[in-house]
Amino acid sequence: MTTSSLTSSSPSGSRTSLERSPLYPLYRVIGYMALIIAAAAVMLPFAWMIISSLKMNNQVFTVPVQWIPDPVQWSNYIEIWQKSDMFLWTRNTLFLSVVITFLQCLTGSFAAYGFSKMRFPGRDTLFLMYVATIAVPWQAYMVPQFQIFTEIGLNNTLWAMIALQAFGAFGVFLMRQYFESIPPELSEAARVDGLNEYGIYRRIMLPLAIPGIASLALLTFVNTWNDFLGPLIYLRDRDIWTIQIGLNSFIDQYNAEHALIMTGSVLSVLPIALIFGFAQRYFVEGVATTGLKG
Amino acid sequence: MTMATDAPAVREVQPGGSRKPRNAMRRRNTLIGWSFILPNFLGFGLVTLIPVVFLFYMAFTEWSAFGDPEFLGFDNFTRLIGDGSFQTSLGNTLYYSVFHIPLTLVAALSLAMLLNTKLRGVAFFRTAAFFPYITAVVAIAAVWSQLFSADGVINQILGVVGLDPGVGWTADSTLAMPAVILVSVWRDTGFFMLLYLAGLQTVPRTLYEAARVDGASAWQRFWNVTWPCLRPTTFFVTVMLTIQSLKVFDLVFLLTAGGPGQSTFVLAQFIYQKGIVEFEYGYASAGAIVLFSMSLVVTIVQFLVNKRIER
Amino acid sequence: MKHHVMRSAGVAIAAALTLAACSSDDGSSSTPDDTGSGSGDEPVTLTMSAWSLDSTPEFQLLADEFNAINPNVTVELQEYDAAEYDTQITADLSAGAAPDLYILKNLKYFATFQDGEQLVDVSDVADGVGEGNGALDFYEVDGATWAVPYRQDTWFTYYNKSLFDEAGIAHPEGAITWDEYADLANQLNDGLDATGSYQHSWQSTLQGFALAQTPGADLFSGDFSFLAPYYDRVLAMQESGAQTDFATVQTNQLTYQAQFGTQEAAMMNMGSWYVATLIAQQESGEAEDFEWGFMPAPQYDDSTLETPVSFGDPTAVGINPQIDEAKMDAAKEFLAFVGSEDAASALAQIGIKPAFASDAVTEAYFSVAGLPQDELSQFAFGTHETLPENPVSLDTAAIQNILNDAHSAILTDSVSVEDGIAEAQERVANEVG
Repeated sequence: MTTSSLTSSSPSGSRTSLERSPLYPLYRVIGYMALIIAAAAVMLPFAWMIISSLKMNNQVFTVPVQWIPDPVQWSNYIEIWQKSDMFLWTRNTLFLSVVITFLQCLTGSFAAYGFSKMRFPGRDTLFLMYVATIAVPWQAYMVPQFQIFTEIGLNNTLWAMIALQAFGAFGVFLMRQYFESIPPELSEAARVDGLNEYGIYRRIMLPLAIPGIASLALLTFVNTWNDFLGPLIYLRDRDIWTIQIGLNSFIDQYNAEHALIMTGSVLSVLPIALIFGFAQRYFVEGVATTGLKG
Repeated sequence: MTMATDAPAVREVQPGGSRKPRNAMRRRNTLIGWSFILPNFLGFGLVTLIPVVFLFYMAFTEWSAFGDPEFLGFDNFTRLIGDGSFQTSLGNTLYYSVFHIPLTLVAALSLAMLLNTKLRGVAFFRTAAFFPYITAVVAIAAVWSQLFSADGVINQILGVVGLDPGVGWTADSTLAMPAVILVSVWRDTGFFMLLYLAGLQTVPRTLYEAARVDGASAWQRFWNVTWPCLRPTTFFVTVMLTIQSLKVFDLVFLLTAGGPGQSTFVLAQFIYQKGIVEFEYGYASAGAIVLFSMSLVVTIVQFLVNKRIER
Repeated sequence: MKHHVMRSAGVAIAAALTLAACSSDDGSSSTPDDTGSGSGDEPVTLTMSAWSLDSTPEFQLLADEFNAINPNVTVELQEYDAAEYDTQITADLSAGAAPDLYILKNLKYFATFQDGEQLVDVSDVADGVGEGNGALDFYEVDGATWAVPYRQDTWFTYYNKSLFDEAGIAHPEGAITWDEYADLANQLNDGLDATGSYQHSWQSTLQGFALAQTPGADLFSGDFSFLAPYYDRVLAMQESGAQTDFATVQTNQLTYQAQFGTQEAAMMNMGSWYVATLIAQQESGEAEDFEWGFMPAPQYDDSTLETPVSFGDPTAVGINPQIDEAKMDAAKEFLAFVGSEDAASALAQIGIKPAFASDAVTEAYFSVAGLPQDELSQFAFGTHETLPENPVSLDTAAIQNILNDAHSAILTDSVSVEDGIAEAQERVANEVG
């Protein structure tokens, strides 16, 4: 880090020049207005989802857009539970998301420690290989991969999805970069204290990497939750369908139940929004507040 | 302050004492290193690496998904060079990436810095910023194509300043790509914002305080404290953004299906079309290898630049 | 036998790498289920692919009807995704995990499956199916038949009788030409709030007709000039407002069910599957209540008005070569059944247009409640020549993709009709084959 010139310490107040400005309240109001407009723009498609979920099927796509459903079809929210296996799909999706997120965070952060903090020949090459595979479109090697999975009997089981997603290069890469940004002095001190590498990973790095792990967990969770192509190829029996596969079954050869698809999509987004709402403090409390105190 | 130490020098210190013979220690380090990587690597190898290795073989064959591949040598690659669709898709992908990467990066970083403050209600805005990423792509495509339609909101706003193009963006061969880029930036910003938000937590607050005492302006503080500390995150974000841009597919496909004509036809769609739609898996693999190589080159360059700055 | 690309290369490494328990010995893993023994009275279970079981009763109907005649044979359905069926069945066939019998949705990939040795020669079955099944020929390659069609959709023109009355225009009485259709659409448009006609964004709504109807048109000739008059006409209709333009259909993602079902358009060219959909949607309230009928699709010129030419791909059942040899007889019997008049009558009664055509089948079809009973609808259903949308060749998918690009480019005015067609011809010459 090249910041040594800035680090000579002396006591001072913590108000920024902006905060000292007499116009500060005005800036605040403008800032909030900008944020609120931006938030509204950002939520618009979501609002459209909700509105569409309250329409009759043939009203979803029309010109001009009908922003107020008439009549309001609250029944869609009842029908989706009665007419489909939404409960089962949610259970399967939840199971997959939790298991995959757990495994991805565990094996990903473990491997990332090896890539970040250990030095051995071939490390960087192996790491680049990991990262580069992210660039290969899955559709291109989907068929041979499916053949392997079928050969070992994993196709048409939930295990296929777990194997498919729990060991992704993305998690390794994300965690390696996070470990890289944690100052090495901390692990060095622990090493001097006689802690071995596994101990340093467990006692020092993991607690410091909570924002990194939290973001990896959330992104893995969301990706698993919303994945369509993977389950489409691997999960065939009705009793192991996920939400996305289930919702796609509302599209048959010539028709689609757009309103019910939107109803299902709204229901499917809600848990993620809730998790994000609760989990976000973990993204904003990290080394700065815990690790380097004192 | 601790941050002043030279990081690489620290890492040169070998764990486990320095008296052991170099080779033994090296072996030991390799073993420990691999023990960390192995649990992930077992799954990764089976699920990703083997099929990808097979993909490299496929690229030199003709294979319809049935029967045995027929070896062709470099034919698929020479065919790619002369293939107009491939050239178009390559050009469109680069066009998309050149705008999508910097715009998303700047938007994500700015948003993360804004939402890392202690403003009231910031938790709500953080959640809102993440919504585009979790909203169903089908809904995103539906709403945005309507916003971009001939008499849609966007043209109406542009009409106020006399710039109404009078056509639906996604149905116009010159405006379709800008529309796709805008929607992509809008959608991906929340994703990368999250990574930057996590990265910002590694910036020690003491550094800011010290900088402030030294009389550094907000811009100087960003440039001298925040940006260097975010380097590992930025490396991750740029590599991921590059890869995601080069293999962009689902959003473009739902917004324009590659059209009108081939005006938003991208590389990943070329690969999808040749493989899954036209059953030319060998040829599709060759296209995938081009995509892979481009990403690899960019990643290696970024990796080396990153290493150099570290020293 | 089973061709596994990955068997040699990947699996050895895979097994060595982790899961050593790679137990399946060659050949036996093809069909995991029961009962090998076969002929006579031994119970046999055949598996067959299907999709959207809740809303597509035809598969279960075929299975049940067959079981009623052959009580010892059960056909068990394996459900696939309707929209992604081809991708899923390809993966299954490639990995040796596909069912004994599988559906060929249309002709687009028939050549690929046949060429890839994924179909059993069923010429012996075809011989017994009979003349009435006109679609059988489309599944013939090298003098042999590879699948037996049970369903043959064709394209009609749907028209809203109530809107015709409102505009004060007489109901059509027979097949018409495209020029007459365009005139009619303009007249309707002038007299109504609704548009005169609706054309969905699919390339087949235009190219399917042009290919089937234009004398001498050939998808593989590399000459697509036969499309030009069709595009000129549609562009003129978009221009006059008689038809919602392609860009609006695209950007607003309009659905044809809503356009015709909520009376936004007075006429629409659409496949015969929409008959059953419209009846169901009127019943559920999703579609408004109005009088409607269907007539033959518009014709190239007046020489074919007696026997109108339309297009549509037959849907067929084929046998997976990995089927247990002992089940082969039962599988062939099932194929003979799905192509027969008996199966056709049963399918017609649930509103499906079967591959086998006869007076009895037509009668069964028009017994469905809600079906328009006028003479023109009956004529449209019973009398037509239907040519394939996807003529059989390994190049079909690639050519169709190129023509699809031309379709969107021309209809959004990105290129002129002439340039769009020239570009498509150039691309086919350069990129296909």
